[in-house]
Amino acid sequence: MVFSILVLGAPFSSQSAYSAFRFTQAALASGQSIYRVFFYQDGIHNSSDLATPPQDEYNLYQAWQNLKEQHSLDFVTCIAAAARRGLLDANEAKRHNKENSNMATQFDLSGLGQLVEATAISDQVITFGQ
Amino acid sequence: MNKPNTKKHILIVNQSPPYSSSNAKESLDIALAAGTFEQAVSVLFTGDACYQLLPNQAPEAINSKNLCQMLKALPIYGIDELLVDEQSLASRNVTHLDKSLTIRKISQHEVQELYRNSTAVFRF
Repeated sequence: MVFSILVLGAPFSSQSAYSAFRFTQAALASGQSIYRVFFYQDGIHNSSDLATPPQDEYNLYQAWQNLKEQHSLDFVTCIAAAARRGLLDANEAKRHNKENSNMATQFDLSGLGQLVEATAISDQVITFGQ
Repeated sequence: MNKPNTKKHILIVNQSPPYSSSNAKESLDIALAAGTFEQAVSVLFTGDACYQLLPNQAPEAINSKNLCQMLKALPIYGIDELLVDEQSLASRNVTHLDKSLTIRKISQHEVQELYRNSTAVFRF
């Protein structure tokens, strides 16, 4: 089975992002394939490179980054949703004349076409809501 | 990016009122993207999303864009199927919808049918 995952919730605001992570991890562990994980709405906050939760708490940001590297996954963060909410990679920061960028390099900024394409190609798209 | 070869029937379900969150706007953006990629798209309004269809919205007063105007652009993107759950309208006593929208009222039974015939559902 080919899955794509749509993440709409930010870490800490709801359980959504953590559940999405666990589902992705479980799907991979059971031999399923993940075509793409798409981060939209408040889900874009999962791709922050600056978030630093206390050391005795689970670090979901780091967990996503590790999962991506272990399995060479495709993580796409919606560029419009991210720009609105103040999440920029180095290119976007330059384009908007901002001094800093704050997005982890494990995520790629791109458009909603990537979600539509993932929907067309995957057997199932699983949404983790806000 | 290449257009995908496979075509799916994407159902976008709106259940949020127009200006209390970014749901209505960000759901519309998915509909437009799916239309651009020539997917079959249906957009259903249910629950409080009925209020997205009211005439004479004046969101300029709260510095928002008029979402109802943006819905009118959907046919340009090849999305002709706008549907509203008639029970949601009735239970909210919403009797007048914006006249320039081409939207079809459907029964609960047709809503079920719509879900059954869709290959992917996005709810906002």
